[in-house]
Amino acid sequence: MTNEEAMAWVIRTRDPAFTDWDGFTAWLERDPANAQAYDVLMAADADLDAIIPPEPVAMPVAANDVGVPQRRPLRWIGGGAIAAALVAAVSVGMMNRADIYTVTTRPGETRSIALDDGTRIEVNGGTRLRLDRNDTRFAALDSGEAAFTVRHDASDPFRVTVGDAVFEDAGTVFNIVHTPGAVRIGVSEGEVIYNPGAEAISLPAGRALADDAQGLRVMDIAPAAVASWRQGRLVYANAAVSDISDDIGRSLGIALRTTPGARAMRFTGTIRLDKDPARFFAGAAPLMGLSAVRQGDTWLLKEGDGPQS
Amino acid sequence: MAGYPNGKQFQHWTPTGMATGLSAIFMANRAALLRFLRARGAGENAEDLLQDMWMKLEAKDLGPVSDPVPYLYRMANNLMLDRYRSAIRRERREQDWAEGAGGVMADPTDDVPVDERMILAQRLDEARAVLRDLGPRVELIFRRFRIEGVGQKVIAEELGVSLTTVEKDLQKAYRAMLTLKQKLDTE
Repeated sequence: MTNEEAMAWVIRTRDPAFTDWDGFTAWLERDPANAQAYDVLMAADADLDAIIPPEPVAMPVAANDVGVPQRRPLRWIGGGAIAAALVAAVSVGMMNRADIYTVTTRPGETRSIALDDGTRIEVNGGTRLRLDRNDTRFAALDSGEAAFTVRHDASDPFRVTVGDAVFEDAGTVFNIVHTPGAVRIGVSEGEVIYNPGAEAISLPAGRALADDAQGLRVMDIAPAAVASWRQGRLVYANAAVSDISDDIGRSLGIALRTTPGARAMRFTGTIRLDKDPARFFAGAAPLMGLSAVRQGDTWLLKEGDGPQS
Repeated sequence: MAGYPNGKQFQHWTPTGMATGLSAIFMANRAALLRFLRARGAGENAEDLLQDMWMKLEAKDLGPVSDPVPYLYRMANNLMLDRYRSAIRRERREQDWAEGAGGVMADPTDDVPVDERMILAQRLDEARAVLRDLGPRVELIFRRFRIEGVGQKVIAEELGVSLTTVEKDLQKAYRAMLTLKQKLDTE
């Protein structure tokens, strides 16, 4: 049985506009068991993420460019009438609202956003993303990381602005990382065009593009490795530890520094994410040939063969 | 019955740094925050947690916060949630270790086993059915609130329904989803 009072407080305190902390304190003080009931339900609430199905969307996925291996249908297909009703309700509710809004996540926090047009954006931690209520085909990734599952419409392509660069979809699942020094994109399905108005570099599934201190370059990437953070894993093929440490910091919500020696190293393999940094580094650091040391609130990744701490 | 011990000598510390108004607001609300942490189940650790909060505030060097008091309470509440979560995690970890499960895998081809995936798909189907039975409005409100993090008042305005309707719909959805969660956990 669910404790109804505790459940009501879970809902209330989860509201971003909640302010009645005195009332909450009074309820907690009424019975010492209330705090425990609240904790249990808040934990259950957090676990709901794993069982809430992705939003159903009525329209089918666009037929895609030929030559893309093993296209599987996107996972939210099959909503039916309810889906149509949902889409309609959201559209009506939002049509007359002001345009640009910002979605931010704290380090370690992830969010999933379903746009009216069927596009889904999964936002990794430490990210700032701008969206337009009047134009669901626009997104600007100001910083951080996001995975886009785009419903393709050739007459109205989805565009992501990243700093000065523009990525335009051609029916696509792709992941973008934007850090102060670099932009990296990996494409797992369909195709993305980089800066359609200028370089117009085509990135089909299995290709990645990086623009950092070493300049602009295109490379191969395993489609399964793209946006693997969504499955709690980070998959790399010969990746620089400097990039990996950014990914780790963003995904776990920790401050992470690397020694110059560690930054120069490269890694191939899969790292399973774990929200407990001590446990995570105990496994992940030796795997990369590194060791991790806790320094107050931050972690330092350095070359291995030092004493394990 | 108050769930916290009274009459304990408070140990004070001197605020340093943190030039923002948040420090003054923190100090002004110190007693109330302490009371909240105790009611929240912190017991004798309430003072320490308050000190943690203080140090976090100092380290973050926050700019002006629009609603400082609710912000501080939310921070305190999050600290308690983290504490609870790490306690649960510790328990689970000890269990995992007892069962010989490791934290890291080195083989990139090692994926989620098929039977686990089937269970996951089945769970999603069950949840989909539960949400469908609640009706489109309840499902929409639940998703706006729970997945997209939109406040109840904003949702009510968007849909042109009363705040009470949104509250009731959310309770309905939560009741159903938490019941499903309990059922899945005991399966």
